[in-house]
Amino acid sequence: MTPPRFADRLLNWLVAPHLREEVLGDMHERFQMQANRLGASQARRRYWRDLLAYLRPAFIRRKPTVRRFGEFPNPTNTAMIRNHFKIAFRNLIGGKSFSAINISGLAVGMAGAVLISLWLYNEISFDRFHAHKDRLFQVYGLTGDISGERIAISTTSQPLGPALEKDYPEVEAITRVREIDKFLIRVNEKSFSGIEGAFVDAAFLNMFSFPLVEGTTHQQLTTVSSIVITEKLAKKLFGDAPALGKSIQLDSVDHFVVTGVLKDLPPNTRFSFEYLLPWAYLKKLGTGWSNDDWLSNNTPTYVLLKPNTDPAVFGGKIKDMTWRYAGRKDVWTHFLHPLSQWHLYSEFENGKPVGGRIETVRVFGLIAAFILLIACINFMNLSTARSEKRAKEIGIRKVAGAGRGLLISQFMAEAVLTTCLAGAVAMLVVYLALPPFNSLIGTQLSLPVSSVSFWLAVVGFIILTSLLAGSYPAFYLSSFQPVGIFTKQFRKAQLGLSPRKGLVVLQFTFAIVLVIATIIVRDQIIFAQERDKGYANNQLIRVDFVGDIEKRYSPIKQELIRSGAAVAVTKTLTGLAHDGWRTWGLRWPGENPKDTNTAITLFSTDAHLVRTAGMKLIAGRDIDSQTYPSDSFAVVLNETAVKLMGFKKPIGQIITQPHDGLTWRVVGVVKDYIVGSPYEAIPPVVIQGPGAGFTTMHIKCNPAHSTAENLARVEEVFKKYNPAYPFDYHFVDQEYAAQFDNEQRTKTLAGLFAALAIFISCLGLFGLTSFTVEQARKEIGIRKVLGATVGQIVAFLSKDFLTLVGIALLIAIPITWYAMNQWLQDFTYRIGISWWVFATAGLLAVFIALLTVSFHTVKAALMNPVKSLRSE
Amino acid sequence: MRRSDLGEFEEVVLLTVAVLVPTAYSVVIADELEQETGQTVSTGAVHAALQRLEQKGYVTSTLGAATAERGGRRKRLFTVTALGGRVLQEVRSVRNRLWDRIVPQTILGS
Repeated sequence: MTPPRFADRLLNWLVAPHLREEVLGDMHERFQMQANRLGASQARRRYWRDLLAYLRPAFIRRKPTVRRFGEFPNPTNTAMIRNHFKIAFRNLIGGKSFSAINISGLAVGMAGAVLISLWLYNEISFDRFHAHKDRLFQVYGLTGDISGERIAISTTSQPLGPALEKDYPEVEAITRVREIDKFLIRVNEKSFSGIEGAFVDAAFLNMFSFPLVEGTTHQQLTTVSSIVITEKLAKKLFGDAPALGKSIQLDSVDHFVVTGVLKDLPPNTRFSFEYLLPWAYLKKLGTGWSNDDWLSNNTPTYVLLKPNTDPAVFGGKIKDMTWRYAGRKDVWTHFLHPLSQWHLYSEFENGKPVGGRIETVRVFGLIAAFILLIACINFMNLSTARSEKRAKEIGIRKVAGAGRGLLISQFMAEAVLTTCLAGAVAMLVVYLALPPFNSLIGTQLSLPVSSVSFWLAVVGFIILTSLLAGSYPAFYLSSFQPVGIFTKQFRKAQLGLSPRKGLVVLQFTFAIVLVIATIIVRDQIIFAQERDKGYANNQLIRVDFVGDIEKRYSPIKQELIRSGAAVAVTKTLTGLAHDGWRTWGLRWPGENPKDTNTAITLFSTDAHLVRTAGMKLIAGRDIDSQTYPSDSFAVVLNETAVKLMGFKKPIGQIITQPHDGLTWRVVGVVKDYIVGSPYEAIPPVVIQGPGAGFTTMHIKCNPAHSTAENLARVEEVFKKYNPAYPFDYHFVDQEYAAQFDNEQRTKTLAGLFAALAIFISCLGLFGLTSFTVEQARKEIGIRKVLGATVGQIVAFLSKDFLTLVGIALLIAIPITWYAMNQWLQDFTYRIGISWWVFATAGLLAVFIALLTVSFHTVKAALMNPVKSLRSE
Repeated sequence: MRRSDLGEFEEVVLLTVAVLVPTAYSVVIADELEQETGQTVSTGAVHAALQRLEQKGYVTSTLGAATAERGGRRKRLFTVTALGGRVLQEVRSVRNRLWDRIVPQTILGS
């Protein structure tokens, strides 16, 4: 016979705490009396009616806290929270090795995650600081759909921009950006070469938000002799003196007046100039610079649309610009590429952005999340593994009246304290690791310590981490039944616990995935590095045409050979290790319309290319304008080009270039050599004779002398014929090696984070073993007494952990196999994934795990059984 | 002492406390009143009245013993204070004086 439970609960909730006891007591007593007198059901009804009498403020209103003088209200129970932290602190001090493992694991994980996050933030914030970021677009070209694919062209012709501005009222401004690094910059007696700059239209600084520290944004770059420089360059040229109004000489020819000084460009922009020149100056330079041909794509063009313009509609209107102006329909169309996609989505498939860096960003975001997760898993595992030690404490707390919520908040306090300590260590690690990390991956990341939102993010990150790491142990530990804790069953239930094993498997799966990925990336790089280049790049140096070099090429060449420093010299269109220039629409006898629209790479030489670059002639001869004066319009093909054009007898064939109406005669065929990326298939190449353009020269140094000796002689020659410029040269083998930078970075990063993941996972494993061994102390003692050898005991203790690593390996293999296959698809020249990669990674993981575990297991196995058994 | 201080129900409760001292608490008071008046009286109403009387200083309370039928909860026992006693006396004398002045025929029936 009990009163209605719901009514009771309602009363309990409604009536103020200080009145609860007497009110509920009264109600119950009355209920018993009435039940005796009137029967249970009647009593229940009366109970509800009586309850109504308590629904008045006198009972519901909570007792106000009576404050003494000098006391202030506490918004929450601070005493208890203080106590939580005190207990948490004592627990940290109490288990020093446990805390060290926990804090260092978390710290390393957090540091890794923060580093990646900094990089991710840098990536996704690219060019997002421009005030007009939503209205800025780059105009792209898109070739016709002939060979089943339409290729996006990031550059446009020079007249396109002004025509857009003139024809469409939607366009607020346009700018072309032509990058240049060949000018010699001179102030008084100081001169610098190789500094990056750009020719831009006057609207550039109004379109993009690059603030000026000197001068005003309006009316910049409107006159032909004005120049805008960055603070960095200003310091270089003028020291600490104000730069505004000073004069700068370019190439010892033209004088410019500094009309503005820009704040240095942030690292997260696609532009990398240190000075800006007016477009008018490019016009003044004339041929070779200025080009009013609608069919020559050579300059990126940017547009700023007026507010409320629909870019899709506008994009549709400008699609056929070049068709209309060039008067033909067999050339490219145009589309707009919005600023938000410039950096992350720069790869196109049939004119639609399909990806680019975004994939790397996603992969590394995932890695950051996982690194943090496995660090948190350590915390969870170690906390729950320690549960037996803490169980009695929990039991006593519960018996003494602690509710579950209180215990949860106690364990969360421990997690928060540990995470805060780990976070502090992590920030220190990040601070110290940032410079090497930057040089490793070629970035300029920095900790934005002065930014409020950064610190908010740090606090949020620490809270997130402590929730992630602390919630499972908190809920798990607080769920212990006090009755169970003090009985024998509790121990057994603890040993069979499996979420912990699942978490270990997860950790090792991730670590193994990263290890396998590192190995595969490394193999792919080595594979590409060992690829036959088709030319010899040792002792080969390259000098760009600056100043008088092009004009005085012949005497320079002669003198280089005569001095004995060089064995062969040739001038070329681009550097050998560079991506060449591509052209479409060459015609030849027996052509297939599909093939004439394949991109053909152009290269050029005046003579001796084969000898200088160590290429291999397959048929015919090298171009040599000195011996054969008619070689101006001779060409040499590579094997792929011969195959594409389907020549049975290539020598003597005529190829026409319809745009300029040129005819070329094939005089030779060279073996395929690598053009551009060493990962790609070799494109068809047409090497033109001296009738073509040239930008640089290659010099094969004399192998009889040392490199330093050769360079000194070469420098002498250039000093003589091009005295205004410092002697700048490049080693072609270094330029070739630079092509691997991107993948090398991927390898370094994958390796770095693989090592991190393994370190954290092993730290956790190390901690876990110590508890397992601790728990099995007596068992080990008994086994030893009964005659087990040290080896048997170590095996018995390690078996469980090795099984977990084995399962992790089984899960990791298919994941990596699939993911790395996808990655390799990006390369035409690639390796297959062989089984031994997985075997190596597996062995490595097992070995490292065994090594980690053995520290405790061997110690335990060697222990004197008397010590472990005497206490019972 | 202003008469308006003491409501009718309060007066009855105060009287009952005086009757039942030293074991006066909400349940027995409500029970007593039910028996005396024949109407249902809830403990809540009595308790509220007792709280008001305590505020006015006519009764004081202490926590008493716990009993099983109360689920192990203690009860709050009330006693009349000297001030409470005086007020009751005063109320009574006012009533008495008034009763005394009534001409017997005026009240009919009963």
